[in-house]
Amino acid sequence: MQAYAIYALKRLAQFVLVVFIGINLAYLISHATPIDPVEQTVSAATSFGNASPEAILMMRASLRELYGLEGGAVSQYAAFWRRVLVGDFGPSLSAFPTPVSTLIGRALPWTVGLLSVSTCLAFALGNLLGGLAGYFRESRILKLAGIAAMAVHPIPYYIVAFVLLIVFGYLWPVLPISGGYRINTPWGWNAEFVLSVVTHAILPVASLVLVGVGGWFMGMRSLVSNIVSEDYVVYAELAGVSRGRILGAYVMRNALAPQVTGLAMSLGSIFNGAIITEQVFGYPGIGTLLIQAVHAGDYSLVIGIASVSIVAVSVAVLIIDLLYPLLDPRVKVA
Amino acid sequence: MHALRHLALALFLAMCAVSASAEELISDLPRNETLIVENPEGTIKNAGWFNIWAINAGGQSTGLHQLAMDTLWYLDPQHGLDGVWMNSLAAEKPIYNADFTEMTVKLRSGIYWSDGVEFTADDLVFTTELHMKTNGLRWSAPFQINVASVSAPDRNTVIFKLKKPNSRFHSLFTVRWGAIWIMPKHVFEKVADPLKFDFNKPVSLGAYVLHSYDPNGKWFIWQLRDDWQRTTLGRYGKPGPKYVAYVDPGPPDKRVIAQLNHELDIIHDTSAEGMFTLAKQSKTSRGWFKGFPYAHPDPTLPAVIFNLQNDTFKDRRVRWALALLIDIKAVSMASYRGAATISAIAIPPTGTHTESYHAPMEAWLRDFELDTGKRTIKPYDPNIGRQIAEMLRPSMGEQIPTSADDIARAFGRGWWKPDPAAASELLQAAGFTRRGNDWMTPDGKPFAVRLVVEGDLRPVMTRAGSMIAQQWRQFGIDAKTEVAQGTLPDRRQAGDFDAMISWSVETYGGHPDLSYFLDSWHSQFVAPPGKMQTPRNWQRWASPELDKIIEQIRSTGFDDPKSVDLGREFVKLAVREMPIIPLMAYNVFTVMDQTYWTGYPTAEGDPYTDPVPNWGNSRAMMVRLKPAK
Amino acid sequence: MFTVLRDLLRYRTEFRFGAILTGFIAAFAALSLVSPYPPQDQFVVPPDLPPSWSYWFGTTSRGQDVFWQLTFAIRNTMLFGLSVAVLSRLVSIAIGMWSGYKGGIVDRLLMSVNDTFIVIPLFPLLVLFYFVLRDRMSWPLLALAMASLGWAYDARLIRAVALSLSSREFTQQCVFSGMRTREIVFQEHLPYVLPIVFYTTMNNMNWSIGLEVTLSVLGFTDIDTPTVGVMIYWANQHTALVAGVWWWVFFPVLFVMILFIGLFLLAISTNEYIDPRSRLARMGDVSG
Repeated sequence: MQAYAIYALKRLAQFVLVVFIGINLAYLISHATPIDPVEQTVSAATSFGNASPEAILMMRASLRELYGLEGGAVSQYAAFWRRVLVGDFGPSLSAFPTPVSTLIGRALPWTVGLLSVSTCLAFALGNLLGGLAGYFRESRILKLAGIAAMAVHPIPYYIVAFVLLIVFGYLWPVLPISGGYRINTPWGWNAEFVLSVVTHAILPVASLVLVGVGGWFMGMRSLVSNIVSEDYVVYAELAGVSRGRILGAYVMRNALAPQVTGLAMSLGSIFNGAIITEQVFGYPGIGTLLIQAVHAGDYSLVIGIASVSIVAVSVAVLIIDLLYPLLDPRVKVA
Repeated sequence: MHALRHLALALFLAMCAVSASAEELISDLPRNETLIVENPEGTIKNAGWFNIWAINAGGQSTGLHQLAMDTLWYLDPQHGLDGVWMNSLAAEKPIYNADFTEMTVKLRSGIYWSDGVEFTADDLVFTTELHMKTNGLRWSAPFQINVASVSAPDRNTVIFKLKKPNSRFHSLFTVRWGAIWIMPKHVFEKVADPLKFDFNKPVSLGAYVLHSYDPNGKWFIWQLRDDWQRTTLGRYGKPGPKYVAYVDPGPPDKRVIAQLNHELDIIHDTSAEGMFTLAKQSKTSRGWFKGFPYAHPDPTLPAVIFNLQNDTFKDRRVRWALALLIDIKAVSMASYRGAATISAIAIPPTGTHTESYHAPMEAWLRDFELDTGKRTIKPYDPNIGRQIAEMLRPSMGEQIPTSADDIARAFGRGWWKPDPAAASELLQAAGFTRRGNDWMTPDGKPFAVRLVVEGDLRPVMTRAGSMIAQQWRQFGIDAKTEVAQGTLPDRRQAGDFDAMISWSVETYGGHPDLSYFLDSWHSQFVAPPGKMQTPRNWQRWASPELDKIIEQIRSTGFDDPKSVDLGREFVKLAVREMPIIPLMAYNVFTVMDQTYWTGYPTAEGDPYTDPVPNWGNSRAMMVRLKPAK
Repeated sequence: MFTVLRDLLRYRTEFRFGAILTGFIAAFAALSLVSPYPPQDQFVVPPDLPPSWSYWFGTTSRGQDVFWQLTFAIRNTMLFGLSVAVLSRLVSIAIGMWSGYKGGIVDRLLMSVNDTFIVIPLFPLLVLFYFVLRDRMSWPLLALAMASLGWAYDARLIRAVALSLSSREFTQQCVFSGMRTREIVFQEHLPYVLPIVFYTTMNNMNWSIGLEVTLSVLGFTDIDTPTVGVMIYWANQHTALVAGVWWWVFFPVLFVMILFIGLFLLAISTNEYIDPRSRLARMGDVSG
């Protein structure tokens, strides 16, 4: 037990290190952008309006001051960490003075809801099919299912989403194709709002599951086909254990460990958002926010979103590493 | 098996429930009283922010500046409800003193804010003074630069004393897309920091008030005020739509689908192909023109903008050579599938400009001569607009107009005839040489042009740029497009480009005065290489002749007919020097669905305003729209 | 090597099909060398024609022949996906096996590096890459960038397998019988690791090609060089799906599907061929 505690502590230190390096990299990357948020704001304010050159020079100067862009790189960096340590990413530079955390907070629930549901569905479906296909290798139906899953898998996600949209939004218009809920529905835990959220999520979720299943399918299939020929499975078959039980209790269970690793990482990475899903289905979420931030050179917002994702992925990896020795006793704690 | 049957039944029932709920796009609003409009800003990331005076903090064309804001005057890009000029909050036109150092405004009475407080001169004075003492508000700079003091001798009169003569000071309060909007004094005087105030819920001076909005910024719904008569639109009669919803309908294909489903009454813009699809498949959809080119030509002029501080393009012969290598017919096809309104001169071919500039200058253009170094040519071909029309007639049939006037209005008049021989001569005269198939600059390097385009934010201009680069490439120039995406404004301001497709010419459309863009082309504002250029002289053209024209315009009144003559002088100078290669009007495929509403502005019916719905001027539509059923 | 190939072709139907499909795509891509049109030129054929005898795959709204465009696009996309996959596989196998087998401080160090790569925000980084490179941006450079970003996730999976292998009985037996680490890793462990390598290769290609399409759809790409993503970009710019020009999108997607099914069949059949136990079983079948 003590060995495990030491392991956990060391692992925790590694977690802190990774998060620290990650956020620094995000700082570097986002600040290296050639897009100047002040110039973006200036051109947003002047691209349609009457703008005399003198006025724009003055506007530029006062925006620089307002956004706090005066001062050297070192003091900016120090100020950044001072704020981040108390969980504050400062005001957004493309929606000044609204705090970055407010903008992220509004978009995040949608992203988490959409992607956790679709990731879990794809995981369950893909692994089930993959396990069956790996175990019953000679079954024609499962082979075909495998080929079908593999055929859908490489279709560019954009196309899958768009075809769904045209089929269910235009040719046979039964499903809503835009937004997270019906326009003008008041928010609340009532049947109308919840139903409208669910129906609006059907197409986005379906598109993500369609393209997501293939990966899990293939992983599970190859893992299972490897385990099937292990001695203990052969013994179990010779001993007359039913095939269903062998598949469930002996094969899938052992093959699931690496898949769960993958699931944890996928769930961690959902905080990046689903940019194309959000664009095609007009679904609210963090991906659109990230794109807008990148286009506007709003590095405060970019770092904010990136940091959420960095922490989430690191936590996912940490949890796997902490659980692994407990789940798989064969792994020695190092 | 039973389980499966149950599942199928459940799915079927769910589908039925879903189809039932998919019937109406908007919950709880009668569709026939609601106008649904695209907001081209897309998703507003900071939806709950309505303080339009803080720069770029929230959405603008969410209906906020079209329906809830008001200011002194409106200048229509088309013909207007009752003339191009509309006295809105002001009762009459601006009154200047002789040397343009003082402007007096007479205000209307009987106009009320949506919370029942009356609008008075105090609001205008407050707006001015708040901007003068606060840095970083959206219009702080123009107020601080221009205004010495402001006063209100009575509740309907405001006098601005200016720091220096400015004959166009009123244009700050004149809506051409947008302008300085008036603040409610009784709200903002209680606010500690106007830069950090969200103005939610907004107090409206327009005929509509905010009804509801999406916290995620996908839609905004506005409702007609009960006291709409006490607003400046009131005197034009009751606005038709009781509710106006500004929505983010998604990418162009989805806008088309939404209108085919009658869930989007006004599309702001789509691709040419999307427009044709709607024209073919929906009897109720129509554009600005009934047939080709459908689109509304905005008073904005996409052009090839050279960086004149770049050695390669300093010589006007090089710029002219590049212009003579462009086949505008192919560019029109590539960018707009022929639905472009071309212009050879640096004025957008739209609104009243065609009568002020394009038609009267036709003769001069025909006679215009260009010295190639070996011979003199007349580069203008007056028939190109007609040729485009004839090229499209076999496939588009009756949609192509037949009379010469209609063709000129729809497709433009003439352009420069492609002339590779003359281009070669011009380049050789400028010291360029040909090595094999490739052109070399005078200092012996390959002649390379990187043509910067914006990408999918402006698909039409990206498509035009890609065609122009191809034409230059086929002539032996190493030409390529570069998609700048979000870096375009930075690169444009920094002068970090050889050439780009963008616009540096923007006008009123409905009024011949060019100062709106031309004043900023004065050489006093040209930044040295490497420094930031201010709008709109992106080409960094410095010309003493031009400066003289601009200075004369500055001392000429806004409505003085002399300013049209000065404008024509500018056109001639720009043709000779070719600092930018004008291509066409920025045609916007605004598509209007007549299933629920009729009375939209159209070119041949009633061109009372620009239908493009993100224009502040588009509020004029509300009073002409009538329910279709 | 040839015997292996011969065996595979003879005994595995999957392998035969896979080889035919992949070969077909490769041959198609090779046709780009004899294309009558330069890939970036537009309006060389009449626009918007549906598939017909004269234009097998139809023509685009930009006046390009979909058939010849696609030869370039498939070539570039395939080379792109393969280079990302191969390069990133080299790194992920090396790091994953080494880390999993060595354990201890080496493992922790390598995994710290690895995790940092996992958490780096990919999208802003690639966009930055695009903005900085400008017109020097090309698919080989993008492939290099994606390969150096795309190995970490799979290295972790491979490490997990290696970790569990290193604690298995037969590994201990190998160690006791005096085998060297390299021998153990390559002779004993690789067969267990290869299935996961194959499937991560496929997933990686899918990931890189998908990301290329995503970047293209968003416009962060060199729009003059055809790839599958760039074809979709242009189709999208002309609202091809709504305008009824479906062939512009259908054929690129079809060919990517064929390529992946081909690779999938190759992978699963090779996989089973390598697996020592299923090989034994098969030999029994053949002899008996």
